[in-house]
Amino acid sequence: MSSASASFIDICREGLLHLVRRPMRTALMAMTSAIAIAVTVNVISLSFGLQEDIRGDVNMFGTRTVDVGRLPVLVPGAARPSLGPAEERSIRGVLQGLDALIVPRRQAAATVTLAARNGAEAHTERFQVVASQPAYLKTLTVPVQHGRWLNDGDNVVGEQGVASCALDHAAAKRIFGDEDPAQAVGKVFELTLRGQARAMTVVGVLSDPLRYRELFETFDEGKGARTLTSSLLSFRNIYVPERLLAGEEYSGISIVLPTDVAVGQTRDRLMTIWSLDATDPIALMRGGIGVFVRKDWMDALGASASKGTLVGNVVWIIIVLVAIVMISTLNLITIRERYEEVAIRRCEGARRRDVALQITAEGVMTSLVGGLAGLPVGYVGAAILREIVQFPFRFEFKYAIAATGIAILLGFFSSVVPARHAARLQPARVLGRRLN
Amino acid sequence: MHDPFDITGHAEATDTLAVLDGAGRTYQAGSVAVEALRPQDLIIRRGDYIAVMGPSGSGKSTLLHVLGCLDRPTAGRYLLEGRDISRLADRELAAVRNLQIGFVFQRFHLLRDESALRNVELPLLYAGIARSERRQRAAEALEAVGLAPRARHEPGRLSGGEQQRVALARALVKRPRLLLADEPTGNLDTVSGARILELIEAQNGHGTAVVMITHDPEVAARAATRLLMRDGRMSRADA
Repeated sequence: MSSASASFIDICREGLLHLVRRPMRTALMAMTSAIAIAVTVNVISLSFGLQEDIRGDVNMFGTRTVDVGRLPVLVPGAARPSLGPAEERSIRGVLQGLDALIVPRRQAAATVTLAARNGAEAHTERFQVVASQPAYLKTLTVPVQHGRWLNDGDNVVGEQGVASCALDHAAAKRIFGDEDPAQAVGKVFELTLRGQARAMTVVGVLSDPLRYRELFETFDEGKGARTLTSSLLSFRNIYVPERLLAGEEYSGISIVLPTDVAVGQTRDRLMTIWSLDATDPIALMRGGIGVFVRKDWMDALGASASKGTLVGNVVWIIIVLVAIVMISTLNLITIRERYEEVAIRRCEGARRRDVALQITAEGVMTSLVGGLAGLPVGYVGAAILREIVQFPFRFEFKYAIAATGIAILLGFFSSVVPARHAARLQPARVLGRRLN
Repeated sequence: MHDPFDITGHAEATDTLAVLDGAGRTYQAGSVAVEALRPQDLIIRRGDYIAVMGPSGSGKSTLLHVLGCLDRPTAGRYLLEGRDISRLADRELAAVRNLQIGFVFQRFHLLRDESALRNVELPLLYAGIARSERRQRAAEALEAVGLAPRARHEPGRLSGGEQQRVALARALVKRPRLLLADEPTGNLDTVSGARILELIEAQNGHGTAVVMITHDPEVAARAATRLLMRDGRMSRADA
């Protein structure tokens, strides 16, 4: 006996014809799929977009920079460890041969009187002042957006005691309002540092590397306290010539290394100066000196972004699962209405697998059409949300491909139970009920 | 005329088509076993024309389902062209239904959304026949039952008699060896019913064995062999 059977294409065509002849039902199921895919695209573009942007930001920072700094004193009355030229010499000594750029800095809190604007009265606000050599810019790896960076000439006392400074983008916006930071260059404002008020001329504004500043700050707060590194990397500082805080102890020493290997070697060698144990945070804190490898901090931040992506993945997986259950239920109800059709097909030679294949093909085609319709909806939704909530929705072609794949899987899995049910149908029972 | 219950020597006979060898069918309804078809013998030869009569619930449909490979006997054997059907896998049973058995039902059982032509094509699709050949053979089958002009019509736009002719064309397009008809004239007027019977008998004349369930004694009288079913047991109606 011949065992010829219907071709895959013929069965898919049967399914397609069935869908075309039931437009309302098909549209309803496709719409469910479209909504699921639209939401999935949104969540994927949010979570992966955020992660990729943050990773991009992180990689832009000086990840080959190591910061040495003094930690806050935990024990009242305890003396703060010394960090000055002597320690700088020790560092230069142990890092010989590593081609390291070593730049000390001093930091201090200062206040700036902000003019009344936007309905708010004039008031003072705290800023972090960083005094260092011109080479300090190399430890930041942030480009100058407007004007220029500080140079050796700025370290000379100017006319009438006016000093030069460079501002982070966020500091410029805070001090001069939301106008274009380019307009800040050349302007003068009053800075109160160590109790002494002085006029400061803005010579340059750095670009803002933090696309998601709020996220960074939330991350900081989540750790309980700002770390030395994250404080610097808040990028809301006022950079002044070295002379403005001359004579004070260093707040930190930044070291820029040429390779990742050198970063590791630097960490190990610095430990020998202060007898630090990197694996024991308590001992590290007691020592009063901290060694921060920016890459570690960035990795921690990247891990946080990955957790956000994980949450996003859970959300869209739940949405797709709900859609699978909904479409499955709808399909099952539909199958009950199609008992006679299935029985006729079985009578005329359809095998169980032919029936199951047709039902599955119908589900996949419906879901695929719905998914393709959901893509532009998701894209438009992401664009609208991006405008409203200023979140980093990012729609890329690869997300569209992924969403299409998800739509196919959605169609397949939502057809498993209905296809199995239809294939197991006993034609004799269905037809028998109608015969006599 | 041969005795339809005498299966002696069926294996050697060249004209044997189907044999029920002590075949019966029992259903389990909860804790109660319902013997819808009592174990018994029956032989169907090529070209036979058998009418089965009996009251509702007597087991006629169960007999038809077993003969049509839509159901398996729970006792005995069912041999179709020498093969024990009760031992076949689902895909083999599907192939038997597809290639050897034609069905005609009282309520036509056509696909409502498909044209007459596509309904007739259906068994050929599952036989893996190419689309162009399917179309051609289906058109010929419709022409044979006088429905060529209505080929593009859906069942809803056809009369009862026309729908039954489409169902008959669907059964005959596969050139079956066994045609099973369950009250084929039950829903038709006299003229349409007569037309259907003529077509069935013409096919019988070409060597296709016909087993027809009917309540109508006049229809049954046209068959060469008449069986009576009662409580799941068959007997000769004219005995």
